[in-house]
Amino acid sequence: MALGSIGMPFVMNNIQLQTIQQKLFNFAKSAEDRVLIIVRLNGGNDGLNTVIPLDQYDNLVIQRQNILVPQSQALSLNQSNLALHPVMSGMQHIFQDGQLGIIQNVGYPDQNRSHFRSTDIWSTGSLDPYEHKGWLGRHFDDYYPNYPDDYPNATYPDPFAISMGYNVSETCQGLMANFSQAIANPLDSITLPNGTSVDDGTYYGSHMVYLTNLIDQTNAYGQRIYNATMAGNTLSQLYDPNNEVAKQLRFVARMISGGLQTKVYIINIDGFDTHSGQVDQTNILTGRHSTLLKTLSDALYAFQDDINLLGLNQRVAGFTFSEFGRQIASNASLGSDHGDAAPMFLFGECITSQVIGPNPVISNTVVNQAGVPMQIDFRDVYASLLKDWFLVPEEDIEPLFDHSIQYLDLLGSCNLGVEKVSKNKEGLMLYPNPASGMTYLRMNAKNRAYAMHIIDLNGNIVVEVFSNKHLDGEQIIPIDLQNIVTGNYLVVIRDGMMEKSIKLFVIK
Amino acid sequence: MPSSVTNPPTNFSLDPYTGTWTASQASHLLRRALFGPTSQQITDAVANGMDATVAMLLTPKPIDLPISYDTGEGVATYGQPWNLTPYPAGNVEATQTARIKSLGAWLMKRLNNEGNSIHEKLCLFWHNHFAAPLSVDSRSTLKYHQLVHQYALGNFKDFIKEMTINTSMLEFQNGATNSVYSPNENYAREFLELFSIGKGLQSGPGDYSNYTEEDVAAGAKIFTGYVIQGIQSSTDNDVTSVFVPVLHDNTVKQLSYRLNNETVNPAGQNEYANYVDIVFQQDEVARFIARKLYRYFVNHDLTEDIEASIIPAMASVLTANNYEVQPVLEALFKSQHFYDVKLKGSCIKSPLELLFSIVNGTNSSINFDLTTTSDMYLNLYGLGDNLGQSYGQPPSVSGWTAYYQAPSFTKLWVNSTHIKTRMSVAYLFTIGAGLQINGQTFKVNALGFLDGLSNPSNVNSVIDDMILIFTPRLLSTTQRTILKTVLTGGQPDFEWTIQYNDYINNPGDVTYSNPIKLKVETTLMRLLILPECQIF
Repeated sequence: MALGSIGMPFVMNNIQLQTIQQKLFNFAKSAEDRVLIIVRLNGGNDGLNTVIPLDQYDNLVIQRQNILVPQSQALSLNQSNLALHPVMSGMQHIFQDGQLGIIQNVGYPDQNRSHFRSTDIWSTGSLDPYEHKGWLGRHFDDYYPNYPDDYPNATYPDPFAISMGYNVSETCQGLMANFSQAIANPLDSITLPNGTSVDDGTYYGSHMVYLTNLIDQTNAYGQRIYNATMAGNTLSQLYDPNNEVAKQLRFVARMISGGLQTKVYIINIDGFDTHSGQVDQTNILTGRHSTLLKTLSDALYAFQDDINLLGLNQRVAGFTFSEFGRQIASNASLGSDHGDAAPMFLFGECITSQVIGPNPVISNTVVNQAGVPMQIDFRDVYASLLKDWFLVPEEDIEPLFDHSIQYLDLLGSCNLGVEKVSKNKEGLMLYPNPASGMTYLRMNAKNRAYAMHIIDLNGNIVVEVFSNKHLDGEQIIPIDLQNIVTGNYLVVIRDGMMEKSIKLFVIK
Repeated sequence: MPSSVTNPPTNFSLDPYTGTWTASQASHLLRRALFGPTSQQITDAVANGMDATVAMLLTPKPIDLPISYDTGEGVATYGQPWNLTPYPAGNVEATQTARIKSLGAWLMKRLNNEGNSIHEKLCLFWHNHFAAPLSVDSRSTLKYHQLVHQYALGNFKDFIKEMTINTSMLEFQNGATNSVYSPNENYAREFLELFSIGKGLQSGPGDYSNYTEEDVAAGAKIFTGYVIQGIQSSTDNDVTSVFVPVLHDNTVKQLSYRLNNETVNPAGQNEYANYVDIVFQQDEVARFIARKLYRYFVNHDLTEDIEASIIPAMASVLTANNYEVQPVLEALFKSQHFYDVKLKGSCIKSPLELLFSIVNGTNSSINFDLTTTSDMYLNLYGLGDNLGQSYGQPPSVSGWTAYYQAPSFTKLWVNSTHIKTRMSVAYLFTIGAGLQINGQTFKVNALGFLDGLSNPSNVNSVIDDMILIFTPRLLSTTQRTILKTVLTGGQPDFEWTIQYNDYINNPGDVTYSNPIKLKVETTLMRLLILPECQIF
């Protein structure tokens, strides 16, 4: 305190200037600091009852009236023809805060409706039945080829991935070993006993060396995880102590804030295989599915709140996935059977809050076993995350997938101003932000008509910047804020294909 | 990876072993042929000698049927088999889940009751070989495992014929949808690549040395016509494979030069068997299965020396005996090579080997009411699954990677997570809470284990027996001293004898038995968490 105050007024000018410059054009420090949270909804989540396409509601009534939540109770997402399940107020908040994205109709060609096979496909990021390595495992193999030998070390003292619970994540299976550590409780630091081994050149000797090294590595990681968790913090008041997913995410927040350099955390939520009892007989708003969705939504809301309060919002992003969606028509057991495509959620400050892809089109006649057709390949999502979030070069990404990648702009908003922003993206940046009189939006327009509005958090339009303006190439669009009062807003840009929003704070 | 092996075995003869026969050789044989030999089994094997022990191990052991116990079953009576009971009309999910649980408990109970026979260990071998997952109809899954058991010690050629038209295999490898109208090559390819002759090096376009793409295509046609009847049926008592003549391809099939340019003439429902006979004329089939048996029972590393000596010798025994499995195993388990001391401890225990080395090796079995017992076994199943080996659900048609994936092989069983779980298992079953279900607890049977040792009143003998049962190469003097200190609490040796005799002379008195029990559990824990106990 005393030292810091000496000469403060002089230094402060410089710092302020630098800080502003950095905030304007280089949000993220580097990809090395970034953390990806993967939430797996195990069993096949019913996408149509999670993200409800309101423009298809009449036909949904025909298909699945016995499990369909009332339109009036669904939680609206601003300006979109979409609503969330009534229990998902937490995720509605995240969306309103501009920290939630939705990708519609994600899947892969020729959907396999086996849990095991489809989970393998989503975990490996490959349709090849002989692929055993996970998509992240292959990526890690590229960069850390000698794992697990020589790890941990001074440069990489922490596990590359942590899977909360008892099982390592198949997404992280590498050639020689799995890159994830399974951690049920990061404070439960048992130090495994170990001996020393003498390699006498026999097979037995090689096994002993392998096992003793492995135990050393496990202990070293365990100690780092314990220390980081103890050093870490958690600030949100929103965590429900009875919500198991929230508990795990709270540990994750503590580990990140405690300085653990782990890049990927995996959360697993079981129970989405809702063939029966998806909704209660007496109340369509309760039942297995709504319990699961509430658990997910509340936990993510608390976690995102925590991450924001901890100042980690530029460093943490995540997504949800499930091995498949469910069939459009419900069954007679108040449930739904294995289907095809489903929406994915993305969350984090760096998400350009948007809905990618149109609503699924629901037929007015029941087709036996029909699922939601896939429109976006999940491998494109994975590849785009690697590119936008971990800034992996495209030439390193494409060999990872048995598929020609179509990149999506998912997490680009924290990369704006960074050299890596590619020209073909509609990268959005708003500056200054917070702002009082004027702010400017930078975007890469794609030769089409755009509409831009400022809306408040109730979804009301407060400023129409323009409604049908043809734009192409990099644009810097001035926005006049004179008539807007202090508060949080969203700047929403729409074209025929998609809608994006970026959070704006106005100070008067 | 760890250093390459510089100190390999030196004896490469399949000729009979005539060296000394002590606990060292006997325990090595039992560890490889069983999941978890007991002290008594080792003592008996030493006394009976090699020949009698091998003969005993190769004696088949019958199995009973899985029993209905889960409330979701809904059709079969509680406590009765469900193997010939239809599914309910309508939603079958609860029944199917109940039957899967029944199967899981049944499989684990079988391993726990392996007795003196190699039979269960061979069933796992063949399950890994014909790696079919659970069927959507558990009656079909059961028939698959019954078939595996039926032929585990039988004739490989007959076995593969039956497996080809097994309903689970027809379901798994799309045989049931392979017809003259839409041939599906899935089974035809795996039949050659993984089940019979093996894929050799690619020596030209579509030519895999042992067979070609032409043979895959011909095989698919040969296998056409079999469908599955009764899957999840509410009226059929059983699931059966049925030959439908109109679905069969009645053309003459031409095989490649790799299979001697043979032709397979239309023979309807027997055609597949004729094709198997043709493929089995190739000695490579014998070498292929010899390699797999060798890797499973001896060592993963097929060095040039092994390829030049043991593999052809084993293959000769197989072909000389028309692919009977027993003679080649007998030769292997009596061979000089098998008892080369450098092969002791050449494998890391698979999850099931680890679990049942502890459970069986301590004379522990699960005997509660049907529901509790079944759920206990199901928990063991879950532990195996957690550790990376869920019996009945191999990860792929190739089986578990640790059995085939170079260069790590059995090292793949243990990663940083699994090592923690493996140690947790050691805690759980010894000083930990054990499995707790319906108010009952299952842990190692510490007192029964102790009573079964060769000389339980002698503390040195107790420690030596424990080390012999659970480690392939014994322990250092220091480690042995630590274990003994744990067992005696630092008291002189005679104090153990006094305490043990007090316990024996006061049957049922927990004031004498509990301290002994706790000491044994703690000592077992200290032993079982050692890396040496992960190897066999």
